[in-house]
Amino acid sequence: MFNFINYFVLTVIVVATVYPFLNVLAISLNDSTDTVRGGIYLWPRQFTLKNYETIFGYSTLITGFKISVLRTVIGTVLGLISASMLAYTLSRPDFRSRRFVSVFLALTMYFSGGMVPVYILMRDLHLIGTFAIYVLPGIVSAFNVFVIRSFIDGLPYALQESAKLDGANDFQIYYKVVLPLCKPVLATIALFLAVGQWNSWFDTYLYNGNKPSLTTLQYELMKILDSTQQGSAMVNSNDLAKLMQQVSPESIKMAITIVVTVPILVVYPFLQRFFVGGMTLGAVKA
Amino acid sequence: MKWNSKKALPLLTLTGVVLLAGCGGNNGNDNAADSSSSPASAGPTSSSAAAPSDSGTKMDTTPITFTFFGADASPNWNNMQDEVGKVITEKTGVTINAEYDVASGGGQSKIALMAASGQYPDLIFAKGELGKLIDAGAILDLTDLIDKYAPHIKAIMKGSENRMKYSYDDQAIYSLPTNGGVGSQYFDATGGFEVQLRVLKELGYPQIKTVQDYENVLSEYVKKHPTTDGQPTIPLLLNGDGWKRMITITNPAFLATGAPDDGEYYVDPQTYQAELHYKRPEERDYFKWLNHMYNVGLLDKDTFVEKDDQYQAKIASGRVLGLISQEWEYGNAENALKSAGKDDRTYGHFPVTMSDQYQEKELQSAGVDFWGISITKACKDPVRAIQFLDWLASDEGQVLINWGIEGKHYNVVDGKRVIPEDVLNAKVNDNANFTKTTGIGLYTAFAPHYGDGVKDPTGNYYTTNFPEQIQASYSDAEKEALKAYNATTWKDLWPSDLPVKEWGALYNMQVPTDGDYQVIYQKTQEIVDKSIPKIILAKPEDFDKLYDQFLADLNKAGAEKMEATYTELVKNRVKLFTGKDIQ
Repeated sequence: MFNFINYFVLTVIVVATVYPFLNVLAISLNDSTDTVRGGIYLWPRQFTLKNYETIFGYSTLITGFKISVLRTVIGTVLGLISASMLAYTLSRPDFRSRRFVSVFLALTMYFSGGMVPVYILMRDLHLIGTFAIYVLPGIVSAFNVFVIRSFIDGLPYALQESAKLDGANDFQIYYKVVLPLCKPVLATIALFLAVGQWNSWFDTYLYNGNKPSLTTLQYELMKILDSTQQGSAMVNSNDLAKLMQQVSPESIKMAITIVVTVPILVVYPFLQRFFVGGMTLGAVKA
Repeated sequence: MKWNSKKALPLLTLTGVVLLAGCGGNNGNDNAADSSSSPASAGPTSSSAAAPSDSGTKMDTTPITFTFFGADASPNWNNMQDEVGKVITEKTGVTINAEYDVASGGGQSKIALMAASGQYPDLIFAKGELGKLIDAGAILDLTDLIDKYAPHIKAIMKGSENRMKYSYDDQAIYSLPTNGGVGSQYFDATGGFEVQLRVLKELGYPQIKTVQDYENVLSEYVKKHPTTDGQPTIPLLLNGDGWKRMITITNPAFLATGAPDDGEYYVDPQTYQAELHYKRPEERDYFKWLNHMYNVGLLDKDTFVEKDDQYQAKIASGRVLGLISQEWEYGNAENALKSAGKDDRTYGHFPVTMSDQYQEKELQSAGVDFWGISITKACKDPVRAIQFLDWLASDEGQVLINWGIEGKHYNVVDGKRVIPEDVLNAKVNDNANFTKTTGIGLYTAFAPHYGDGVKDPTGNYYTTNFPEQIQASYSDAEKEALKAYNATTWKDLWPSDLPVKEWGALYNMQVPTDGDYQVIYQKTQEIVDKSIPKIILAKPEDFDKLYDQFLADLNKAGAEKMEATYTELVKNRVKLFTGKDIQ
């Protein structure tokens, strides 16, 4: 009986999460004019790859893809290193200014300078028009630091003490003892960072919009989406009539959604195996 | 060296904190705005008074690059590597390094950043955000530049010179109107009230002039055919999803009562008093009619609960007899009908009014009044910039921008410009790639230009749109209906020869961005969004009470104050545009 309820509830959850995705996939593979008629659920009614063809017809997508991959990899690695270092320091009870630094960090979670001051700061730091602007400004996120810190706090401090007795210095403790134990939380944070980096387009738009060599995938897709949007003021009514005969936004939107999601789906299983706690069970005898 | 905790811990922290510095935005650096205004020369006051009067021949064509920002998206922009772009560079020496806004942002955030940081491109197409840049002192007054260096622009703008000026109080020319064609004609009417062609045919093409005619047609047909393809027939469908309620529900209220489209306002053509159009007594009758349509079951009861895609799907199913909308609003659904071969389920357009005493003014022209391109203070060489724009505005430039290169994108046959079959094919069926490689259509908004239906000295149209095309694109069912109404296009049913609006296109008018105006406007919009569905869905006996309540709510939100501000702006505009003296 318990098994039955268990299976039932889990099945409902699976259906509820998988269905929207399949629906998006089906619409993205459906003829765009036909989509308007509605009623597409799991299978495309008039199969076509034209929507994907439209998207991949844009050559700028390749540069965008490269930069997106680069910023995701570099941003995630640097973000992990800096957040975990800071978190480790803050977790040490013998660090005297930990209170001050914690408050200082927490402040950034509640207050920010607003778009214009941030832009001016970036300009004065000469970061505008560089690749660094994708990675540096967001390299330490207070939230991530606190998540990692509370994980480290949960680790037995005795492990660090025993390492010290064995002659390890602070960097060694951090690298050889703390980091390996933190794998589950690091995997989680890595996923946050990677998804965030992969999905962001607004920084490209604000800072690097006129640098085609630094464009990102999401930014390019955003532009394509625009081109299918109707009612742009640049076209007059006579042109609009012609525009109407082309691809409808709905199918293109869905195809873009798929293009954006698939890489994350591919990466996810590789990170998933780290999402297991309990590695420290039995590490210290009570 | 041995690391011990006293040294290493602060070091580790420091590493973190230094890295953090990048993301903390609140560092108090925000008043740097004015520090970096560009050192470029202060305007065009330089020597060359004896300017080339026929700029085409003597123009400096040494290579120069201008940066440009466009507040509209232009996804096919190809950094001037397209065929038309190369010719432009060759003829003028100018390369444009362009950046366009994305996500239908209208340039809002980007232009706010420019105004705050003082970093401007050389040329900018700022749309509704121009005011911010002018306030920041970033835009050059073009009056003298046009006078000295831009004979072609002057020729195009002849008769509309006043309409280039910014405002009554500041009569400088900050932008050239480029977002529309001068002298542009409507070839067809795509709005009004829509009726399915099969309905018209079955009822013998009845006269449809008033809402009563319209109602009779719909109810008569639905009585005969309560179902379509096995599903219930829907006599009248409107779209209440978000801003589209303006297109299908509230704008038709003034169109059906003889007022032109001035957004949410009505402007009295004699006194220039502006008021929210809902306040006109005539419109109460229109909403009363909608209320009646709902209560007799002709208006679809899901109007205010369904989303846009459900609305489109219903139209695409072919069972909706009547719409009150614009063709672009339901075009996707109509395309679906066409591709399914159901041409008789598409729609004809009629200028329907409340009664014979009104004239439908949907097609009344606002005249030349467009957003446009500006030259900023950062521009290295404003003279070259205006000469570049003027070249684009020349006959040679306009033909190049619209038609492309002779012998490649069009041929001249017996003095007529003709687009070869294969080029036309690529243009229609693969428009994105066509635009990217040829550049046709990418440069239209850079300079003032003539609109559709205007002929150049050779007797050809400047643009590639002309009336014959529209007629050729009609389906047989549509042609049959038009013939029965003795018309060649739907436009023929509309009244013509309406005077040009003296106040231009009010959606282009800069309204106060600070103070009460915006707040009140938002409030009134919320009241409209909330009240209109209630009024239409009310029981007939409650209608008047609710409508009174609606008007009272508007005034309570401060509508009168807002209208007074707006009236003042409209009057100044009329004074500026026409030179009339108005109190």
